[in-house]
Amino acid sequence: MRFPWWGRKRRQELDEELQSHLEMAARARIERGEDENEAANAARREFGNVGLVNEVTQDQWKQRWLEDFVEDARYGLRRMRKSPGFTAIAVLTLALGIGANTAIFSLVNGILLVSLPYPHPEQLVSVTGAYPKGAFVAMREQLRTMDVGAYAEGHELNLTGFGEPVRLASTSVSAELFSILGARPDLGRTFYPGEDVPGQGNFVILSHALWEQRFGSDASILGRSIELGGESRQVVGVMPAEFRFPSTKTQVWIPLQNDPRNAVSFWAGDFMPAIGRLRPGSTLEQAQTEVRMFQSHVGALFPWPMPASWNANASVVPLQNGMVADVRERLLILLGAVGLVLLIAYSNVANLALSRAATREKEISIRTALGAARPRITRQLLTESVLQALLGGLLGLAFATEGLVLLKMTLPSDMPRLAEAHIDWRVMLFTGALAILTGVVFGLAPALHSSRAALTEALKSGGRGTAVSVSQRLRSWLAIAQVAFAVLLVIAAGLMIRSFWSLSHVNAGFHPEHILTARITPNESFCNDAKRCLTFYRSVLDQVQAFPGNHGAALVNTLPLGGRVSKRSLVVEDHDLPPGEDSPLFWLNVVTPGYFRVMGIPLLSGRGFADSDISGAPVAVVTAETARHYWPGQSAVGKHIRLLDDKDWRTVVGVIADVRAYDLRRNAPEWINGTAYVPYNSAATLEDRRIPAEMTIAIRTASDDSQIATMLRSGVASINREVPVSEVKSMDAVVSEAVSTPASTMTLLAVFAALALVLGTIGIYGVLSFLVSNRTREIGIRLALGAQRTDVLRSVLGEGAKLSLAGIVLGLAGAFAVMRVLSGELYGVGAADPLTFCSVAILVAVVALTACYVPARRAMRVDPVVALRYE
Amino acid sequence: MAEKRERYQNRIELLQGTLDLLVLQTLQWGAQHGYGISVAIRNRSGEILQVDTGSLYPALHRLEKQKWIKSEWKISENKQRAKYYRLTATGKRQLTKERSKWAQLSDAIAGVLNPLEDESEP
Repeated sequence: MRFPWWGRKRRQELDEELQSHLEMAARARIERGEDENEAANAARREFGNVGLVNEVTQDQWKQRWLEDFVEDARYGLRRMRKSPGFTAIAVLTLALGIGANTAIFSLVNGILLVSLPYPHPEQLVSVTGAYPKGAFVAMREQLRTMDVGAYAEGHELNLTGFGEPVRLASTSVSAELFSILGARPDLGRTFYPGEDVPGQGNFVILSHALWEQRFGSDASILGRSIELGGESRQVVGVMPAEFRFPSTKTQVWIPLQNDPRNAVSFWAGDFMPAIGRLRPGSTLEQAQTEVRMFQSHVGALFPWPMPASWNANASVVPLQNGMVADVRERLLILLGAVGLVLLIAYSNVANLALSRAATREKEISIRTALGAARPRITRQLLTESVLQALLGGLLGLAFATEGLVLLKMTLPSDMPRLAEAHIDWRVMLFTGALAILTGVVFGLAPALHSSRAALTEALKSGGRGTAVSVSQRLRSWLAIAQVAFAVLLVIAAGLMIRSFWSLSHVNAGFHPEHILTARITPNESFCNDAKRCLTFYRSVLDQVQAFPGNHGAALVNTLPLGGRVSKRSLVVEDHDLPPGEDSPLFWLNVVTPGYFRVMGIPLLSGRGFADSDISGAPVAVVTAETARHYWPGQSAVGKHIRLLDDKDWRTVVGVIADVRAYDLRRNAPEWINGTAYVPYNSAATLEDRRIPAEMTIAIRTASDDSQIATMLRSGVASINREVPVSEVKSMDAVVSEAVSTPASTMTLLAVFAALALVLGTIGIYGVLSFLVSNRTREIGIRLALGAQRTDVLRSVLGEGAKLSLAGIVLGLAGAFAVMRVLSGELYGVGAADPLTFCSVAILVAVVALTACYVPARRAMRVDPVVALRYE
Repeated sequence: MAEKRERYQNRIELLQGTLDLLVLQTLQWGAQHGYGISVAIRNRSGEILQVDTGSLYPALHRLEKQKWIKSEWKISENKQRAKYYRLTATGKRQLTKERSKWAQLSDAIAGVLNPLEDESEP
């Protein structure tokens, strides 16, 4: 870039300077007695091309950095082309490390860091704990620091009268919830204040997806009424596709029904999470103080005494943290694991660069001797590594894009905000910074080291001076670190695999094979008339009994591992309550006779249910754990329990084996005191004092499941056209869904561990290869002096074994210290499981020694004659 | 022309270290103009070192940019306007450094029995 007006004076001066040189040279010649004309020409000849000298001198004025950079980059590229193997390994290593990191970071970013997609997300908070409607209404009236809203997720409603009946996931919300979030509808409106009381809120808001699929994106649906759960509701709005509160599952939003006259529903119905928006001028701390104050007296509002422990730790946290609290730990574990992979990748590339720097020491020394400035050489080496890092980063970004797609497929789809995660500019920036940082980190070490190399030493030893031994030590340490990190990751993966294995081989208490399950869900109101409800189910079972290939069918209200718990307070014989204590809360399973046989649940004593129990004397069956807990050392058969508010005692007629009904680790959640089964009749009431309306059918099959499923659908439709059949799946599928979260964590950790092992192996292989090529001459001399080839092999292998062993020991020690973070994810295996630790140590040792064997053999085959002639 | 120019530049780069040393050393005895410097180097080296103007002037301007030398226009003994260069304080320090580096290098080269071979990639 040259501007004509810029530096004109300087150019004139240069012209003059050169001109004066010519004149002085000519004068000197004349003084020596040359002819005047001759002298001027001779001086000019001696001087050379004046224009050219002028030009190259002017070059000195320019800022050199851009030219230098281009030159360095060109030089770097040339060098990379000259050693494609090295470049490929370095770039690929980096790409894998950076790619894996970017993918995981995108995920962490999308889930934990990116602000919620609502206006002023920093004002949005979540009140920890859960509140029944009554407590929420009090909170809404009393809190001054924020506006609060509540929502109850996980309800389902039948949509009927619009083609096939379907089951929709609905979320009941307080009237102000949408305005608190600041969410605007695509069409129509959201709810108005005051619409969340009975009689005022026969409205519904549709999700965008439902509107598209079920209503063909027809805007005229607004204002029309649809039949939901047996009630007519007017469609008032359609939310945008991006609105996913509280999760992607919700298809319809309906207003809560806050009815103080219905004390049970008002004070003991759904315990709901509450969210809030801080009012202007309020801080999070003020809100926390206010909620603590509120919590201290809200218990007194309940129509019955509430334990002081209820919501005792209630506080206020930013909504963002509140929503992802459950997944945070798992994500951070993955981030840590993938960070280790990047560290290994770092050390690998650093190692490669160090090796190369060592071989280039001589070249650099010569260039220094010839006057190349040290910063210039440092910069050149840096440019080279930054180029590599950039290439690696670009390739890594491609890996990351693919990786994120795979991640989303691997992780459980109900992970909050998972769909929102994508590679965005922040992640791009992160990748870029990582790439550059990587370049600087592994570029600088060799660069500083090379340019500090003592000139004379390097020249004297022809490239094998003291500096080499220094970098050899550094390289050894890097290799040790790599092995140690790899050991850490493989142990983490090993523990997860062991844990997953125990989880999938746990005795669940039932036999899931060849069972087809389906949810049959009439409207809640359908079972207001218990007799109608029971008759309907009787006909369904009769239909199914007639299916060819069915080996028995039964109904249950909560399928094991189905994600639903039905609770019931009851009274246990011989267990009088101390005053002030609540009745025990049981998990009450309502089943039809034959259920235990169909599910393959073993009967330990007494008997199961018979058809005669439907109308006969009240009976119940308990699980072994419950029997042990309430009647230790006695037989539970013949004891009695009574559902709270019932008059009749039920006789325990049988004890069955424990069933892992809640998840594969636990039979029931901690707040459940026992598990009982009762036959499905009009006395089998749940906490709302109604019999369950939604039942799951389990059919033991011998033939094709899909055929039975089709028959079931048409069978149910033939009995009642308004009752949807949903969630048709095999019991095996139910079980594997129950382990999908640990399965995904395990899969990801295993992938990272494999990556770590491969990279670590490359690392240790590289170090030993360099060692061997560096010692070729020495090995040649030894062989010439009569050393055995096996000795050479042993010596090189010994070197590798020393490095691997140090790495393994360090890795084991590190694992011992940090594996505790995994303990929350583990089942049936300790965080310091000796078997896993030992097998991983052996595995890594074998892999590492195999990697050492290749260069060791090369060392063994050194030809002394060739080796000695070298140099 | 472009090719020729590149050849010039290569020569500058190769000679850079030593030429700088020679220029600084020459200026130690007093301010001098470009022509004077080239004559001095030629004379003191027993006519062996012919300083190429295509190297000398870039070197002078570079050294000035590095603030090791300073220039001013003066009238020469022949009553001619010429640009004189003189050593600065940093230049003097640099000269000492360059000299010891040179001594080291020549020692090293003298000590090396093996001729320097081409760099080889393993």
